[in-house]
Amino acid sequence: MSGPAPGGDAPAGIPGSALPGPFAVGAYAERLRQQLRAFARVQVFGELWNFRTSRTTVYFELRDARGALPCAMWRSDFDELGVEPSDGAQVVLAGGCDYYPGSATSSPSFSFRATDLRIAGEGDLLAQVERLRRMLAAEGLLEPQKHLPRPLLPRTIGVVTGESGKARDDVLAGLRRRGWSGRLIWGFAPVQDRHAAPKIAQALRDLAAIEEVDVVIVARGGGSLADLFAFCDETLCRTVALLRVPVIASVGHHTDRTLIDDVAAVCCSTPTHAAEAAVQLDVNAARAALLRETRRLDAHGRRAVLDRARTLVALARAPAEHVARHRRRLHQQLRELRASAKRRGARERDVTATRLLVLRRKRDVAAAERTRAEALLRSDGERLRHTADAATARRRRDLERLELALAAHDPARTLERGYALVADPAGELVTSAEQARASGTVDLRFHDGHVRADVEDAAR
Amino acid sequence: MSTVQIDMGGDAGGEADREQLTYERASGRIEEIIRRLDSGEAGLRETLELVAEGRRLVEFCAGELEAVGRGLEELRLDELVARLERGGEDPAPPAA
Repeated sequence: MSGPAPGGDAPAGIPGSALPGPFAVGAYAERLRQQLRAFARVQVFGELWNFRTSRTTVYFELRDARGALPCAMWRSDFDELGVEPSDGAQVVLAGGCDYYPGSATSSPSFSFRATDLRIAGEGDLLAQVERLRRMLAAEGLLEPQKHLPRPLLPRTIGVVTGESGKARDDVLAGLRRRGWSGRLIWGFAPVQDRHAAPKIAQALRDLAAIEEVDVVIVARGGGSLADLFAFCDETLCRTVALLRVPVIASVGHHTDRTLIDDVAAVCCSTPTHAAEAAVQLDVNAARAALLRETRRLDAHGRRAVLDRARTLVALARAPAEHVARHRRRLHQQLRELRASAKRRGARERDVTATRLLVLRRKRDVAAAERTRAEALLRSDGERLRHTADAATARRRRDLERLELALAAHDPARTLERGYALVADPAGELVTSAEQARASGTVDLRFHDGHVRADVEDAAR
Repeated sequence: MSTVQIDMGGDAGGEADREQLTYERASGRIEEIIRRLDSGEAGLRETLELVAEGRRLVEFCAGELEAVGRGLEELRLDELVARLERGGEDPAPPAA
């Protein structure tokens, strides 16, 4: 910087100032760039944050606890590395200082122009978060929220979120999806800068102080871990852990895990899900279910009374019905009996008729046979009579002949002819002289009487 | 969430028997009641008592659903806090 800018139109310097100049800023910026580029090229390390890309360049910051550098790298150089550093990653850079001097219409900027990059490991911030998480866990502060009862159907919901963030609309969408339209208390708070954590904690405490608040949603959209770092704040996490109402956290995208997610009662991937977790009940479905349950209760109530009334009526009617049942049974049996008797009578009538027919036929046959027999008898009688008459005549004739024969042999007739019968005194016929001598006396029978005669030579 | 308290037990005089009623308790009890009634094991007296209890619980649940179905009411915490700080007014929002 040898003197004022060319052209001679440089303004006068500050009176009394011992410093050289004034110089035109463009010339000074150019000299600054040269000076910075003349710095020794080195390797530096730190945590990579706020990574973003443009068409030609990638930008990020390198940080540690004592300071930070804005960094830039040609995109072609970066893509060649094939790495995908996440926020908080420990990296080593090679490169040197650079300065874009800007112009009348563009802003200047300083950057550490990296020509190479190596990912070295987990960053301090992540390690710090992890240490804090372990500490809270050891103190048992990850648990209290998990044990708080969460109402199925909260009437009043508190929401802590950024006033202009998209998370607000997402929460409303989730509540609408549940059919929930109760009372909502918005606790708007910054959700990104270094003042965010105390404000969020204060909003949570204020909401919890309202007795009607049943549950609180803490919602924030996606961002880098540095953006979300407020939700890893120790004081905030301790506040959440000891809050009397359950807190439902939805911070960042589902890949991010902040400490508030660990201490909250429930952590959700999106504000919409957080709203649905806050109202566990689908209100419209619950209304329909309640209607069904009401109908069932009414039906049970009515049925309980009606059934028993019917039972009582039935019991009252039971004796009469018993008698009527028996009467019906008796009538039935009577009908069956009659029918049976009728069937049997008909059957027997048939049998009798058949038998009568048979008997008549037999009678007719017998009559016919009798007639025939009588005729036969008559015929036989006639024949017999004829035969008998013939026999009688024959016998008469025989008799007459025998009479004649007998008459011929009649001793009387013989006696009439001069013969006599000789008998002993005993009446026995004497047919020989011997017998006559022996007898001594004989009886002589003539045709006209007896004469006793002594046998003379009886002595001989 | 409502903090209506009704007598859930048989002893009407015992404060210890009174329990805070919430929607989930009420709906759970309604399901129990309906299971019991469906079983057909309850006698007439028990049935009528269960039905009466069920109706009370249904009314409570209907009230709860009604309370979150009347239309979204949006309030700002900072305004409520400011009201409290101004004059010790009740920070609770007025009943809808």
